[in-house]
Amino acid sequence: MSSKAGALIAAALVLALALLPFVPGAIDHYYFSLLFFVFIYAIMAQGWNLVAGYAGQISLGQHAFFALGAYTTAILWTGNYLWGSLYETHPRIYYFDPVTMVLSGLVAAVAAALIGLPLLSKLRGDYFALGTLGFGEIVRVLLINGGDFTGGAFGLVAPSGTFDTLLPHYWTGLGLTVALAIGIHLLIKSRYGLALIAVRDDEMAASSNGVNVLRTKVLAFAGGAFIAGICGSLYTYYIFHVGPDSVLNLDWMLLPLMMTVVGGTGTVLGPIIGAFVMYVIFDFARIWVPDYHPIIAGLAIILAMLFLPNGLSRLKLGILKPYSR
Amino acid sequence: MHADETVLRLENVQKSFGGLVVLANIDLAIDRGELVGLIGPNGAGKSTLFNVITAIYAPSRGKVWFRDSDITGAQPHRICRLGIARTFQLVRVFPTMTAHENVLVGAVYGSGGRVANASQAATEALDLVGLSARRDVRTAHLTLSDRRLLEIARAVASRPALLLLDEPMAGLNATEIKQMVDVIRRTRNDMGIAILWVEHKVDAIMKVCSRVVVLDHGEKIADGTPHEVATNRKVIEAYLGEPSS
Ligand SMILES: Nc1ncnc2c1ncn2[C@@H]1O[C@H](COP(=O)(O)OP(=O)(O)OP(=O)(O)O)[C@@H](O)[C@H]1O
Ligand SMILES: [Mg+2]
Repeated sequence: MSSKAGALIAAALVLALALLPFVPGAIDHYYFSLLFFVFIYAIMAQGWNLVAGYAGQISLGQHAFFALGAYTTAILWTGNYLWGSLYETHPRIYYFDPVTMVLSGLVAAVAAALIGLPLLSKLRGDYFALGTLGFGEIVRVLLINGGDFTGGAFGLVAPSGTFDTLLPHYWTGLGLTVALAIGIHLLIKSRYGLALIAVRDDEMAASSNGVNVLRTKVLAFAGGAFIAGICGSLYTYYIFHVGPDSVLNLDWMLLPLMMTVVGGTGTVLGPIIGAFVMYVIFDFARIWVPDYHPIIAGLAIILAMLFLPNGLSRLKLGILKPYSR
Repeated sequence: MHADETVLRLENVQKSFGGLVVLANIDLAIDRGELVGLIGPNGAGKSTLFNVITAIYAPSRGKVWFRDSDITGAQPHRICRLGIARTFQLVRVFPTMTAHENVLVGAVYGSGGRVANASQAATEALDLVGLSARRDVRTAHLTLSDRRLLEIARAVASRPALLLLDEPMAGLNATEIKQMVDVIRRTRNDMGIAILWVEHKVDAIMKVCSRVVVLDHGEKIADGTPHEVATNRKVIEAYLGEPSS
């Protein structure tokens, strides 16, 4: 199949998903919320993929950036400590406010740049991975001890009265997933993508050929954090209660990581395919065999690693070829 | 020779790892467009010298000058952008990229603005080494000889004033070696790039280079024409081992 046909199929699929809510009864169906979660995980997986799959830096701190984004949205939304509650005078302003969402991504990105600069200039490979894991623990301590500003161990509660349908979440999730896939595809084809792959493939050769390795890595790390931060913001509009146990859960780092590996690390479609397949497997396991759910999930990952060492998206399907490298 | 003709100058460069002195007081100058061979037994410090020039290692003492700039301890990517490109003894190409993309990295990032049209510069560099037909081949699928040529193309695409080659003939067969000599000659003659060329195939160096530098145990023991070097007593000793007195 040519890449043109692949793009057409993808466009048709996106259109069908976008129009799905107009099918009578669809919004109230359980699968509708399942799709929303697939989008959330696909976004998180894409963020990890940018850092690990393309820049080659294994980050174990994506949940921290997710949490920073979620908290930023909750703090701005509730107006906690900043201006009283703007929400009370302007009830709809901070519900799905794009400025708030972008700011949430930026807070995570700035934190990533600040922590990434020392970590990435000093640590490599496993040590960098452990450093990012440590950063997650630092964020946890800060959030728990943030007093009224972060709501301590309980966290913050946003005004849930605004929630009456999952529709905006669904569309935003779908839109972000698609925009990210297109954005990352273009990024990889750009000059910066060339530097990313060069750094991933061989750092010494990259720097000896003019690539500023540290800058490339820090930008990728901050970009991955930006994506996670926006995702945390979106999740806050769904969950309303933002606490260390809910948004700083290690699952927000581990599951997207597994999904990317299963779907295909360093491919644009891998994280999306992986998020869909793994989330559906996890969810069905949880519903049908709740006692064995972790076993089934674990088994799925082991099987995927054994039989799909390069991920689902690198299966020899012509349609996916142009999107993987 | 005029001072502004010098592209590279090492001033009393020393490098030690812990107590092991690998380079001792090296003075060396390379002029514009010069083709200089660098030979010496295993462990003499040739690769280390390259790593000090390209700032992969900082020298323990001494200075490295590129034209009028002191580049001692600069960052490797800056040194490339200034105009010193290199290859590696163990080939380092980007395995998941195509040949053309590999060379594009040098043209885009390494040229420091000397290349206006990077894609064209990459195509020309692939032409120079004879890899045009393989431009879209994933690098992991290339032969050793082609990967060595690709490394040179990538370096040339950054339009350097000086190219450091670390054993470009290692592991190549006779035909490939002839091709490599041809590429090295053309890189120097057509592109006007000065080359410092490390090689164990001493006969090739003696045939192609007009000047040969010899390192032994981290010391420069000879620097002259192939004839001068071949008849130098220290060089003969270094290659044949210490004479029994
Ligand atoms: N990073 C390092 N740490 C410790 N010792 C090193 C390091 N790099 C090189 N050496 C030592 O420095 C000496 C010179 O090594 P170098 O690789 O420069 O030699 P060479 O002349 O390139 O040899 P060859 O012809 O085998 O490539 C060797 O004894 C080597 O073991
Ligand atoms: Mg060597």
